[in-house]
Amino acid sequence: MNRTRILLGTAALAVGVGLWFAFTSPVDRLQGEFSRIVNIHAPFLWVAFLAFGVTALASIMWLLKKTPRWDRLGEASAELGVMFTGTGLFTGMVWGQAVWGRAWDWGDARLATTAVMLFVYLGYLALRGASPDPEIRARRSAILGTIAVVQVPLVYFSVYLFRTLHQTPSIRPDGASMPREMVIALLVNFLAITYLYVALLTARLDVARAEASASIEPGLAGDAVKPPRLTEVEDV
Amino acid sequence: MSDLFIVIGTFALSYAVVLGYAARLHLRRRRVKD
Repeated sequence: MNRTRILLGTAALAVGVGLWFAFTSPVDRLQGEFSRIVNIHAPFLWVAFLAFGVTALASIMWLLKKTPRWDRLGEASAELGVMFTGTGLFTGMVWGQAVWGRAWDWGDARLATTAVMLFVYLGYLALRGASPDPEIRARRSAILGTIAVVQVPLVYFSVYLFRTLHQTPSIRPDGASMPREMVIALLVNFLAITYLYVALLTARLDVARAEASASIEPGLAGDAVKPPRLTEVEDV
Repeated sequence: MSDLFIVIGTFALSYAVVLGYAARLHLRRRRVKD
């Protein structure tokens, strides 16, 4: 069994432990069962921040070293960041509908900045599909990957900068605004989902390395909707 | 009770996305091997 399979298998176990804690911890008196969603919502968005941070670091390293492995790391981590941001937003919307009475509010600073962050990183992935030249692709995405990370602190501090609907973090250096059992469940899920990110990143890098050594080029944007070439059309 | 089902569904859908991503990686890896 190779390293990636062991990582993915143990990550699945860690997620299982996280789920056990999430569904056995006590619930909030006002939010009821919906308070359990924090155990997936907050860790998913934390991992998205981590993933975009890794993309920025890899982008800077590519600009300095110009080696393909940094480009591959940047892409792999951004892909995971987009997935965790999208699913994190979805979990937040379910919670918001139940607790706030609305799933989305463009007037909320945290929600709006997170949505913008998601779209910018979707743009990062689209940009990668815009050039067939690996050097140009790597340079463009490295520049965007370095600049786009400014959104991470903007999203994180948006709840302090603009006092809108979204609450500030429940766990702060000066203490937590929830009981000990809920804090433990949340921390276990933070660890499990961070470990899941590491395992998926390793698996994604394995695929990228294998594709690079087999000279499989990533598809370009628009490939799927290209009309057939005239030579491919059979005479009728 | 129905609240609990909504919460379970939210967790299930979110992890289904992650599982789908992992499955896609597996298929891409197999395509390279072939």
